[in-house]
Amino acid sequence: MSLVHINIFLAFTVSLVGLLMYRSHLMSSLLCLEGMMLSLFVMATMTVLNTHFTLASMMPIILLVFAACEAALGLSLLVMVSNTYGVDHVQNLNLLQC
Amino acid sequence: MFSSLMLVSLLVLTLPIMSSIFNTYKNSTFPHHVKNTISYAFITSLIPTMMFIHSGQETIISNWHWMTMQTLKLSLSFKLDYFSMIFVPVALFVTWSIMEFSLWYMHSDPYITRFFKYLLTFLITMMILVTANNLFQLFIGWEGVGIMSFLLIGWWYGRTDANTAALQAILYNRIGDIGFIMAMAWFLFNTNTWDLQQIFMLDPNLTNLPLLGLLLAATGKSAQFGLHPWLPSAMEGPTPVSALLHSSTMVVAGVFLLIRFHPLMENNKTIQSLTLCLGAITTLFTAICALTQNDIKKIIAFSTSSQLGLMIVTIGINQPYLAFLHICTHAFFKAMLFMCSGSIIHSLNDEQDIRKMGGLFNAMPFTTTSLIIGSLALTGMPFLTGFYSKDLIIETANTSYTNAWALLMTLIATSLTAVYSTRIIFFALLGQPRFLPLTSINENNPFLINSIKRLLIGSIFAGFFISNNIYPTTVPEMTMPTYMKLTALAVTILGFTLALELSLMTHNLKLEHSTSAFKFSNLLGYYPTIMHRLPPLANLSMSQKSASLLLDSIWLENILPKSISQFQMKTSILISTQKGQIKLYFLSFLITLTLSMLLFNLHE
Repeated sequence: MSLVHINIFLAFTVSLVGLLMYRSHLMSSLLCLEGMMLSLFVMATMTVLNTHFTLASMMPIILLVFAACEAALGLSLLVMVSNTYGVDHVQNLNLLQC
Repeated sequence: MFSSLMLVSLLVLTLPIMSSIFNTYKNSTFPHHVKNTISYAFITSLIPTMMFIHSGQETIISNWHWMTMQTLKLSLSFKLDYFSMIFVPVALFVTWSIMEFSLWYMHSDPYITRFFKYLLTFLITMMILVTANNLFQLFIGWEGVGIMSFLLIGWWYGRTDANTAALQAILYNRIGDIGFIMAMAWFLFNTNTWDLQQIFMLDPNLTNLPLLGLLLAATGKSAQFGLHPWLPSAMEGPTPVSALLHSSTMVVAGVFLLIRFHPLMENNKTIQSLTLCLGAITTLFTAICALTQNDIKKIIAFSTSSQLGLMIVTIGINQPYLAFLHICTHAFFKAMLFMCSGSIIHSLNDEQDIRKMGGLFNAMPFTTTSLIIGSLALTGMPFLTGFYSKDLIIETANTSYTNAWALLMTLIATSLTAVYSTRIIFFALLGQPRFLPLTSINENNPFLINSIKRLLIGSIFAGFFISNNIYPTTVPEMTMPTYMKLTALAVTILGFTLALELSLMTHNLKLEHSTSAFKFSNLLGYYPTIMHRLPPLANLSMSQKSASLLLDSIWLENILPKSISQFQMKTSILISTQKGQIKLYFLSFLITLTLSMLLFNLHE
């Protein structure tokens, strides 16, 4: 694998670890989710451009669109939690806890 | 000859209406034209009537086939039988006199031509009603008289009370029309026709439903108890309107309808009992209400209502021909009573309260004479007009196998008739004058005098004349004990003397208002007060509460939205075992991922 690929793959891995391990704010996991999407986008665009696979040049853009929708959804959930509690600390999400 | 003359007489009536399209409408002689037209129509209709009396031949004229709806054939047909042949001249005679009277009464009205046009249209629709051979044509006449009644009661439409009264008349009549339409629908379903001949020929067995419908229609149109408040309120119209519509012609339409269906009614004892009780309640109740009224027109209106109840009682004891005779004789003296009251009202400068009249015995001798004769005819003084019908009714009721309670109420109402007639005479005519000194009492107008004179002669002689010239229909009761024969006379004289004694005795005493009986009588038995306020309020508030509060605000809001959210929350809390420790779950996912990647990559 070339160095560029390793670089982007490392960025993806760092964001993944950041998504799964965070301290108290929900916002940080959402930001890492965006980072994952960004690295995926760059990887896909690079691969398509390098191999001149023109037919698949739609794919990164569609991926970006869905990422935007998903970010909006995540933000709305964040806003709901923030409306109730004022801060978005994860330990507040105890709806299922009796 | 017979049928064409009758048709000519009916057609002549429509001529002034046609000519109103042209210029004669703008003339000031249009009312005179109308009056002359009616007098010609009256004379023309006398000839077929006399032919009918001589030969006893009934006719049906069926002119024009309008349309056929599958098996129902509708055509324009006139039934000229006993009832319509005698009613048409009587009605035309009374209308002729009333038209002449209203030439004097409505003289200063700027829209007098429109007034006469409305009266003529009313007369035409009444004639259509009376000569109709099928129910459809009868319904056309029925609705027509209702509409004209509305237009004429609200003649002075600037007055709120007049508009309310006209609307009240329409609403009460409409409730009666429901019964009429129900009867029409039943006849269509069960006898496949609206023609009277076919209905009577088929003679259906279970006639409870249509006869109930017709009884409801008569209750609405003839102001029986339950649908009666519109008749006293209808006195808001001008006096000629009260004289024509609400005494002799329109309000007898309901009774006429029941008389037309007498072949069906004589087989149905239930409906006869219902009719009898309804008529008895009406006649007693309205007579009680008439005792303490202070408006002269309202007293006469209640008197009309009471006499209508008496006609319904007569139908209830299975004597349709006697009821019809009472319709014809009643028209004469009631119209005359209204015209005399109109003369008094105009002379005292539009004063209608009898407490402000008095002493007219010497000031208006002709009106006094006719008022007294009219009251005597109304109460059934022997050998005046009212005697020939009213006394026969009381005798027949006494000697027939009938409901004793209804009979007792009728007798009490007869004596109360004498009481309130005495009250009118005492307050309006006798004693010292209670009106303002500056008066314009003048009854020297030829229109007034001639019209009242004609009805006066009718009030005295018409009963004798009609009774001797009609052919015998049902056999009256010939033998009865003396006391029974004199019952009507005795209760009437009792009423007269009682009223006169009471009036003279309490004439100068202070009026105490606090007795509950007085309040019951004066406020019309509290019936309008209750019925015009309570049922509408109950209906509207119940519908508002059930529709918007109950359905919308409570049920629809809680069925889907709120119940789903509550249900979901409760059950999810109930059945889940997770504790919401997201960080731990994410951490375990990461460790699993790392481990699996290490295993797969290093294993090769």
